[in-house]
Parts: sequence; C-alpha cells; structure tokens
Amino acid sequence: MTLTTRPKADKRPPEKNNVIPRKPRSRKRGNAGERTLRNTVIIVIGASLLLLTAYPIGLAFVGSFHYWNPLSGAFDFIGLENYTDLLSSGEFWSSLLRTGVFSVVVIFFRVALGLAIAVAIFSNLTRGKAIFRTIFYMPTVTPLVAVAYIWQMMYNPQTGAINTFFGLDINWLYDPNFALPSIIGMTIWKDFGYAVILFLAGLHSIPEDALEAASVDGANAWQRFWSITLPLLAPMTVFVVITSIISYLQAFVQVLVLTQGGPGTSTQLISYLIYEQAFVKYDFGYASAAAFVLLIFTALLTLISFRLSAGRKNSLEG
Amino acid sequence: MRTRIASGVLTSLLAMIGIVTVFPFLWMVLSAFKPNSEINAAEQNFLPQSWTFENFLSIQENFDFLRLFGNSVFLSVTITAIVLYTSALAGFVIAKYEFRGRGLLFGFTVGTMMIPWAVTIIPRYTMFVDAGLQDNYLSIIVPAAISGFGIFMMRQNMHAVPDEVLEAARIDGASEIRIFHRIVLPMSTNAIAALAIFQFLWVWDDYLWPYLMINDNANQVLAVGLTTFAGQYGTDYGGLFAATTISILPVIVVYIIFQRRFIAGVASAAVK
Repeated sequence: MTLTTRPKADKRPPEKNNVIPRKPRSRKRGNAGERTLRNTVIIVIGASLLLLTAYPIGLAFVGSFHYWNPLSGAFDFIGLENYTDLLSSGEFWSSLLRTGVFSVVVIFFRVALGLAIAVAIFSNLTRGKAIFRTIFYMPTVTPLVAVAYIWQMMYNPQTGAINTFFGLDINWLYDPNFALPSIIGMTIWKDFGYAVILFLAGLHSIPEDALEAASVDGANAWQRFWSITLPLLAPMTVFVVITSIISYLQAFVQVLVLTQGGPGTSTQLISYLIYEQAFVKYDFGYASAAAFVLLIFTALLTLISFRLSAGRKNSLEG
Repeated sequence: MRTRIASGVLTSLLAMIGIVTVFPFLWMVLSAFKPNSEINAAEQNFLPQSWTFENFLSIQENFDFLRLFGNSVFLSVTITAIVLYTSALAGFVIAKYEFRGRGLLFGFTVGTMMIPWAVTIIPRYTMFVDAGLQDNYLSIIVPAAISGFGIFMMRQNMHAVPDEVLEAARIDGASEIRIFHRIVLPMSTNAIAALAIFQFLWVWDDYLWPYLMINDNANQVLAVGLTTFAGQYGTDYGGLFAATTISILPVIVVYIIFQRRFIAGVASAAVK
C-alpha cells in the first residue's frame, strides 16, 4: 500500500516549495554537503542497479534466446527455441501448477492462522501476550536450511517425531501423495509468525474510537470485528499476500533439502526446476527463459493484487 | 466468571499452538545430546536417557564446523554492517532531500525486491566467475552491499526524524554528514535493529549464492556446510542434530535478546 501512495506525493512540482520561505534558506546552508551526500547516494545506488540488476536482467533476456552452456562455452543464437521447448514441456506446466497449489495453500494458512492468532493475542482476555509473540515469531527468524533439516528428521518414518508421536506409519517425504503436503506443512510452520506480527501491528493501528463508537451504537464483538476490524486490516492482508506471492514463487531451499523435487517430480516447484536446469544441467539459456516466464508471472500476480486492493479501497471509501 | 473461562480457553488454545511451534526446536536440541543408539532406537524418548556431547565433538572432528561457523559470522556481521549504513544513508537522502528523479530512484530500488533470484543469478554467476572472484568473499559481499529492502525500510522510518530537528542542526552549522551520524542514526535505532536482524538472518541463511561462489570447503559458509555434511554423513542423525543446533542457536539468541525492538521495527516498516 505504501508503494502506491508514497511516490504520488513525490510528484508534487518542486517549484512549489520555493513558496515556503524556510526551505531555500536551509538549502543555501546545507547546499554543498547536501549535494555531495545526494550525489554519492545516487551514484552508488545507480551503479549497483545498473551492474547488479539491469545488466544481469538484460543478459538473461538475451541469453534466453541462445543455447547457452558455460561448461562448453556455447552461446549460440537459437531464436525462440528455449521458449517453445519450455511452453510445450509438460514438466514446466506441471511444476508451475504445483507452485500455484503450494503458494495458495501456504498463503491461505499463513493469512488465516496469522489473523486468528493475532486477534487472539490482541484480545484483552489473553494472558502472556509478549511470550506468545516471541514464540510465534521464532520459526521465522530461524535459518531455512536448518529448519528443513529439522523437519527432515521430524518426517523420518522410523525415528521421526511425527510418526512416533501420532503412532503413524507414513513415509512422508518418499510417498508422492505426502511429499508436497509435507513441504507445505513445514513452510506454514516456518512462516505463519510473520503474518501474526504484521496483523498485530495492523490491529494496534486501528483507532480505538471507531470500535468504541460502534459498541455505543450497540454492535457486538462479532459485528465490530466483521465491519470495522477486518476491513481496516485489508491493506495489511494485501501486503502479506503480495510479499508471500513473491517469496513462494521462488521457494526452493526446502525442496532442495527435503526431496530434491521427488519422488518423481511430485515436489518439483518452478524455482527448483530452474535451479536444476541452470546449475545441475548447466542449460543457462533454457533456465533463463523459464526465469523470465517466472518474472512475468510474479509481476502479473503482484499487479493483480495491487489492483484488487485499490479497487476494494475505493469501494470502501465511496 | 464467563470472561475468566473465555480467557482460560483462549490462552490455552494459544499455548497449544505455542507448543507446536516450540516442539521442533526442543526436539532438535534434546536429540543433539542423545547418542545415536538412542536416536535410532525403536523406543523413542523425548528426553535423552544418557546425555552426551559426543555428537558435537565428532562433527567438529570430522567436519570443521567451528571454522564454517566463523566464516558465517564474519560474512553476516560484515554484510549487515555495510547494509545498515548504506540503507540508512540512502533512506535519509531519499526521504529528506528533494531532487529530480528521486521517485524514480526509489521506485527502481524497491522494484528490485520483486525480481526473482532465478532471473539474475545466472548472469551474476557468469559475471563473477569471469571476473575471477570465485572463492573470494568479495563475491558474497558486493552483491549484498546495497539492499532494496533495507533502503525501503529505512526510508519508511525516516518520518521518526522530524524536519524541524534537522533544520535546527543546520542552523547550528552542523554539516549534513554530521547530522546523519549524530541525529538521524541515533533516532532510527528501532528500524536499524529490525533491519540488522533481518539482514543477519538473510546472510546466515543464504544458500545458493555461496554454494556457487565458494568452492574451497574451508571458506564455505555454514548453510552450505550443513548440506555437504548431510550429504556425507546423512545417516549420522546425532551429528545432523548437533550441526543444525549449532547453525540455529546464534540466530535465536540474537533474536531473543533484541526481540522487543525487532518486533516494533518489523511492524513499523509495514504499517506506514
């Protein structure tokens, strides 16, 4: 939400500021120092953007039209072949679909759990708020590689805590029906706390007057929640959803550690497929083409979420 | 009376979720102190029946974890310090100075957060290999030195520094860089603390890039070392428990020490 509102304010014509007498005076005073600092920042950020982002994106784009293999040194123009191969590959589409399922399920639980737990912690009825807050956020600050290994051992069919505790006999990571759900479960455990903290922040920023006025008007707790709290949390929900979409489309470490995409291709997410094409098979061109398709999907989904939230905001205000 | 029951129910529900959240950590740490015979036994116990340091000693002997640990600490601390400084400075300039192209600069910087790693990692890999920077920590430090997220977060937090304070300092004749060091930085401690933990964690957690850039095992980072260890000693569950414990504990300790500031900082970055 911040992204949409802030830059607009910046478009204010700078001349206007000259009307305020305070500004030009300070300008004169801080002039040289201000300019040095400003130019340093512009140059450093500019160089970093050009060298480490713009140039690589350009190279990846060009590379996606080439047969590009760093081991053999090949960089041969093949037109759209990488793209046609990619778009006609069942493996690509199924991994994209799988990534969609993975993301939707994880985001759903992240938002639902995050919201429910945040509301529960926020409630006056809860004791020990600070402890809960600290605990729920712990998995989020834990390194993902290590978390994946903990869960690999939790999922172990013979000695793992899950089968032992529930008396089950499921080979979680090696059964095609359970492998993806296992990765989803681990990811939800790791990430729900982030949503808890953000929703708690959102709850704290809701003006108490609004809720009080509603209860004076006779609204009960549920009505207040549905018609005041929830709509006011909408921007935060959008923020959580967008950041989640971006990060889950790129999810890869949990797959690498837990299943390497298997059994079969049952846990092959799109980013893992790209990793394998690029750094196991060293088909850089094909991997770049896939990465670009991923970029387009990320951009489209982010844009749609922004649009949906903007439309919603307008309808609330109007 | 009713509220007391409701309060009890709510608190115990949260406590149950809390146990589910904490359980894997406890299980990992406790298992790290179990001998392998106990870990692989048919009869499982939550607490070790005979406590042992053997797992920690053997992984150190077979696989120099302290060295990898040191490498990760060095890189995490160095990169975090650089990112904090560059982000705060850029955030300050973008938030408080008016200049042409400011919105564009900020827009592009923030936009980098949306680009999947998969797009840039291949060209970056070829660039750094061609530059001969493999097995050189510069290859890890340079790409991380400017952070879109860091700049975004620090800029959002600059409203904590009122313009009047800056004006007053200018009138007193303070230089811009001095204002930044003496006024802006001290007034941004919450955001800095939050960014510090995020950034430390990201470097600590980064897997693919160090894996691609560092070939020399002695200079490898802990996250990659963990997977190498698992590949070689995958059946040594006790060792793996000890190794994950080592790689998680410092982050958890840092988090618990700073958690109050941290949570405040994370929240404020998203709310504004």
